Amino acid sequence: MSPVVLQILQSTVVLVFAPLYAGVLARAVAIVQSKHGPSILQPYHDLAKLLRKGSAISENASWIFRIAPFVALSSYLTVSTIVPIITDEPLPLAFLADLIGGAFVLSLAGFIIALAALDTASPLGGLGASRTTWIGSLAEPALILVFFTVAAVSRSDNPYFENHTIAGSITTYVLPTHLLGLVAFFMLVLAENGRIPIDNPSGSIEISMIEESRVLEYSGREYALIKWASWMKLFLLSAIFMNVFVIPWGLGHADTILGGLQGTLAVLAKLVICGTAIVIIDTSFAKLRLFRIAEFLGASFLFALIGIVTSYVVGGVGK
Amino acid sequence: MITLSEGVLLDLLSVAILLLTFACLGSKLFDRYVAYYALQSIILSAAIALVAHHLGAWDLWALAVLTFLIKGIGIPVIARHYLIIRLELKRDVAISTGISTSLIIGAVLTAFAYFAINPSTLPSGLLATSPVPLSNAVVLLGGLCMVVRRNTVAQLIGWLIVENGVFLGAITLVATFPFIVEAGIFLDLVAGVLIMLTFVSGLAHRLATTDASELRELRE
Repeated sequence: MSPVVLQILQSTVVLVFAPLYAGVLARAVAIVQSKHGPSILQPYHDLAKLLRKGSAISENASWIFRIAPFVALSSYLTVSTIVPIITDEPLPLAFLADLIGGAFVLSLAGFIIALAALDTASPLGGLGASRTTWIGSLAEPALILVFFTVAAVSRSDNPYFENHTIAGSITTYVLPTHLLGLVAFFMLVLAENGRIPIDNPSGSIEISMIEESRVLEYSGREYALIKWASWMKLFLLSAIFMNVFVIPWGLGHADTILGGLQGTLAVLAKLVICGTAIVIIDTSFAKLRLFRIAEFLGASFLFALIGIVTSYVVGGVGK
Repeated sequence: MITLSEGVLLDLLSVAILLLTFACLGSKLFDRYVAYYALQSIILSAAIALVAHHLGAWDLWALAVLTFLIKGIGIPVIARHYLIIRLELKRDVAISTGISTSLIIGAVLTAFAYFAINPSTLPSGLLATSPVPLSNAVVLLGGLCMVVRRNTVAQLIGWLIVENGVFLGAITLVATFPFIVEAGIFLDLVAGVLIMLTFVSGLAHRLATTDASELRELRE
């Protein structure tokens, strides 16, 4: 019984706390910049307001434009069922996919939003779709290589195996392969979520925006779902980063509901740490010029590649 | 829970040295280039200290201190003071390939260095085996720095990176060098840097540039 409850609890945690995480990040960035900033509950107010409103859809929009928000949100919900968020044992639905499968589902969401941006033929939507697809084409090889570093450490590309392998011994934790994969994945978390060295999450200056320009055509309920989906993506990737790479300890056991609640508290505490790192980067770096993004993602690729090659000479757990 | 062994720490330090070499290869600003080299040398001195601790050898301790003082502090300060500030070097524009291309070539060289040295053929009883192929990669990357950059100051530092790579390999493979040999190498290094400093200053004085491609042309 309790695995099913925990499965529901895990997805609920992602759904409910994702806007809070985004709100806390926005507030923290504002405080560091000596501004007052919006309340940390602002994303919930935004959602409540947008969900009450009707939406205006262009006459030329096809069904793709209408289904994209739902596909995106359900993709992230699917990912929330298969990765370790609150428990360290696989929950009933975790058999669906491993890390690479999860990455496929994540890129499905990005793909459908890019299609929807092209659908209404607005110039900014096309611009945003072209830029995000370009960044995605550079980030994807690096992401696959990061999964290979995970596989080199734990002999499996299952996030739960990786979690247990690293939590089990400090020697494995400090393997160069794992540390390089950790750095590479953090750079990808920043890139995938449009955080500062790649894109400005709060800015909508037309000439430089990437992520935001894809969803300019949306309004009302659909816009609420799109925003919610992007907050869930930030929450999910940060949680995977913390639970699989940085702090694999503190997750609850899958057989008791109490374990799930304890794991929820643990993951929120870990997100505070991850959020602090993101806020520091957000406030101390400038946005990269568009064509230097390739160098940033190339560096991430390089870290992962060196990590994999290093595993040949240093060895993984098997050694 | 297993405690951290010295071999694992040495592995980590060598990977950090390799990463800093890549940072050198990828940085356009001279200030950062020299700062990364300084950091790399300081980590190298920590690696030497680690080997010294493992073997309990006083001469290696002396070597660690010398590395820290000369390569970690002395050379970067001198290079900054006499070359970068005096010649007003800021941004290295004399790079023959783009940064991304040189990083990709660097990655290929690293992979080559790893596969060229099979860890199982190394003598047994080493503190760690991974620094040997890593040091090989650092040597190749330092050479790459010298090849892709045309500015003589940048080439000078590329040569010092090669030197660091050789040292890293040496302390892992033949940690029980006689002290006199190591002291001799150090003296060589200092002399080499001084000669090149004079040479570069002379070049800058005469040609008003430190771009090495000027040297290939005949002058009336």
